[in-house]
Amino acid sequence: MSNLAYARPRTLPEPEQQHPRHIEVVATREQRKRRPRVVYAVTTVASLFVIFAAQLLLSIVVSDGAFQISSLQGEQKELLRTQDNLTEKLDLFASTQYLAANAAHLGMVPGANPLFLDLQTGAIAAAPGSVDRPGCGGTCNLVANSLLTGVPLVDATTPAAGSAPGTVASTTPPASLPPATVDALPAPVTH
Amino acid sequence: MKTKRSRARISVAVLVIFAIVAVFTVRLIDIQIVQADELNAQSLSKRSQESVVYGRRGDIVDADGAVLASSVDRYDINVSPRIALARQDVNGSASEALAKIAEVTGQDPAVLLAELMADPDADWANISKGVTLEVFQAVKTLDIPWVYYDVRPSRTYPNGAVGGNLTGFLGTDGPGGGLELSEDTCLASTKGTVTYEKAEDGTGLPGSLVTTKAAQDGGTLRLTINRDLQFYVQQRMAQTYADLGAEWTTAVVMRISDGHLMAVADYPSVDPNNVDGVPNTALGSRAFSWAYEPGSTMKALAAASLLDSGVATQTSTVTAPGQLFLSDGGFIKDSFAHDDMPWTLTGAIVNSSNTGMSLFSKLLSAQTRYDYMIKFGLNSETEVGFIGESEGVVHPADEWDERTNFAVQFGQGMSVTSVQLASIYQTLGNGGVRMPVTLVEGCEMPDGTVTDLPPTDGTQVISDAAATQTVEMLEKVVTEGGASRDLTIPGYRVAAKSGTAEVADSSGGYGDSAVISFAGLAPADNPQYAVVVTAGIPNSMYSSGSIATTFHDVMAQTLTTFRVTPSTEAAPDIPLTW
Repeated sequence: MSNLAYARPRTLPEPEQQHPRHIEVVATREQRKRRPRVVYAVTTVASLFVIFAAQLLLSIVVSDGAFQISSLQGEQKELLRTQDNLTEKLDLFASTQYLAANAAHLGMVPGANPLFLDLQTGAIAAAPGSVDRPGCGGTCNLVANSLLTGVPLVDATTPAAGSAPGTVASTTPPASLPPATVDALPAPVTH
Repeated sequence: MKTKRSRARISVAVLVIFAIVAVFTVRLIDIQIVQADELNAQSLSKRSQESVVYGRRGDIVDADGAVLASSVDRYDINVSPRIALARQDVNGSASEALAKIAEVTGQDPAVLLAELMADPDADWANISKGVTLEVFQAVKTLDIPWVYYDVRPSRTYPNGAVGGNLTGFLGTDGPGGGLELSEDTCLASTKGTVTYEKAEDGTGLPGSLVTTKAAQDGGTLRLTINRDLQFYVQQRMAQTYADLGAEWTTAVVMRISDGHLMAVADYPSVDPNNVDGVPNTALGSRAFSWAYEPGSTMKALAAASLLDSGVATQTSTVTAPGQLFLSDGGFIKDSFAHDDMPWTLTGAIVNSSNTGMSLFSKLLSAQTRYDYMIKFGLNSETEVGFIGESEGVVHPADEWDERTNFAVQFGQGMSVTSVQLASIYQTLGNGGVRMPVTLVEGCEMPDGTVTDLPPTDGTQVISDAAATQTVEMLEKVVTEGGASRDLTIPGYRVAAKSGTAEVADSSGGYGDSAVISFAGLAPADNPQYAVVVTAGIPNSMYSSGSIATTFHDVMAQTLTTFRVTPSTEAAPDIPLTW
C-alpha cells in the first residue's frame, strides 16, 4: 500500500452547495456520433434481403433463359436441317437432266435453227444450226442421274407442288426481274 | 506448479491443433493442386458427355456456281436392344414398335427384329443406315424411348453423271478418285468435339454445352467446267458411242485464251450417286488417263514445227508418192491410193498425206522435232495433275528407227491424251503461247480466302506467225477437205484436223481397233475455243469422217453457249497444189 494519501496536501473545504446539482452521465458529441443507429441496421438487413431476393430472381430468369436458349438452339438445328434438305432438293430440281426432261414433258423443243443477226444490216451473220442431232430434245437423256429415279415431272395442268390450288402466286409477274434490255439493240428493218 | 502444468497442456493442445491443420493443409494441397487435373477429369467424366460434331465437306461447283457435288446429312437409326426387351413401353411391345419403324423406313420388320435380337443384352444395334431427313423425322415422331440417332455426313451429286468423270465420288472409306481425291485438302472438313453435362437420363443440361474443339468446314472447289456445255457434250458423246458402236468416246473443250477446260466428257462414265452402275474402267476420266496414238491430228504440230523453224512455208512444195518405201522393204502409204501428187504443205495437210509429211520432216532433225513435241507439252502430265493422268509417250529421238522417224510426224509410234491434244490446238490458236491446262479455278475457304489459284504463266512454244499460218492451213481442211460438208458451221471460220490411227494390240502389231478423232478450233480469225472429240472403235472400217458431225455439233454448241461473235473476215486463199 502506498502512503500517497498522506502526502496529498490538504485542500480547503469547498463551500457548501445550496442546491445540490443533478448529475448525469452525458455522452460527448463524439460518443453520440459513434453510437450505432437502428436505421442503419434495418437498412443493411433489408438490403441483404433485397440482394438475396434479386439474386434468386436473377438465377430464375437466367436458368429460364438457358432453357429458352436451349430450345431455340434445338429449333435452329431443325431449321438448318430443313434448309439443307430443301437446298438438296432444289439442287436436284435444278439439275440439267431434270430441267431437260421437264422442258420436253411440257412440249418444249430445242431451237431448231439458232441464228446470229448482224444488227447493223439485219442480215444473218451466223447460223450454227441445230445441234440436237437425234431431234428429241430432253426426252432421250443419255447422261445418267440415279437421284431422279421416281421423281415426278411437273404437270402443266396443275399448279406446282407447294402452291395451293386457287392461289395466284404463279400468275403474278416476278417484280424482281429486271426488264429485258432491248433499248441498245437497233431493230432490223422489216418490210 | 499449477501454472506449469496448464502451460504444458496448452502447448500440447496447440501442437495437436497445428498438426491437424498441417494434415488438412497437406491434403488440401494434394487435392486442389497435385491431383487437381485428374480429379477434375474424373468428376467431369461422370457428369459430362463428349460428342463429335462434323464440319461440312466443301461443295464442288462449276464455273458459274452450279453444284456438282454437295454434302448432305443422313441419319442412322440405332436401338438399345437391352432396354427395348426389358421394358414394356407405352408403344406396346418391341416388335410392334419395330413394325411402325419398318413402315416408315420401308424395311422388312422381320429384318429389324433380327437385328434387335442379334445381341439382346447390347445397348447398341443399328437397324437403318443413311435415311433421309423425312424418314428420320417420321421415326422421331413415333417417340420410342429406346431408339436413338447418329448423323452420318454423306455426299450427293445433284447433276448425276454430269462431270462425274471429273468429280470422282465419295465411298464409305473416303474419296474414291477424281477431284474428290486429288483436291481433298481443299474439300475436307475437320471434326470437332463438344462436351455437355448430362442429366440422369442422359439428356444434356441446357447451357452446359462447351465446344472443346471447333469443327471446320471444307472449302468450295470451283471448276472451270461449264455444267450445261458439259451436259451437252456428254450427251453428244454418248450418242456418238451408240452410233459408232464405239468402245469409248471422249471430248475436250478448252478455252484458248487461258487453257481452261470448259468441258471434259467421257463415255461411259460414272454417275457418282451410283458407282456400282458402271464397270471400273469407267470410273475416272479417259480424256486424262488414256494415251492413244493420235494419228493425223499430230500433223498440225508437225507443220507448226516446220513453219516456226523457217524451213518451210504454207506453200512449200513436195511431190508426194502414194507409197514411200523404207530401207527395210516396208513402206508408208496414204489413206487413199494416188500417183505422185504436186502438193504444197497446205495440200499435204488437207489431203492428210503421210508420205508428203514424211518427206517434209526431212527438213528438220529428229531431235528438233522431238524438242518441239516436248515444248507442246507432250511426254508429261498436264498442269491439272488429274488422278491417274497419263503422260503419253514420245520416245527420245535417238531411239527412233526409220519408220518411227516418219511416223511420229503423223501421230503413230507415240501417244497423247485427249487433253494434251487439246492443249496443242490451244497453243496454235493462242499465237503460239501454251497456257497451263486448268481444271480448278480455285478453292474458296469458309473464311473467304481463295487458294489453289491456277498458274497463269504461258510459254511461247512457236512464233505468233507460225501459229497463225498453221491455223490458216487447218482451216483449209474444213473448207476444202473431204469432210467439209459435215464440218462447216455457217458464219464461223473453223480450223480442224482429222485423225485416224490404228491401235497397237498386245502382240506389238496393229490390230483391228482404231481411234478416230477430230481436233480443231474456232473462229479461225480470232480463235476462242479448241475442241477435241475422240472415239475408240472396235474395227477400222470407220474413217475419221464418222466423227466429223460430232466435232461440228460440239463446236457449234460451244460457240452458241459462249455467244462467240461470228467471223467477219474471209479466209485467205492458199494454194494446195503447184
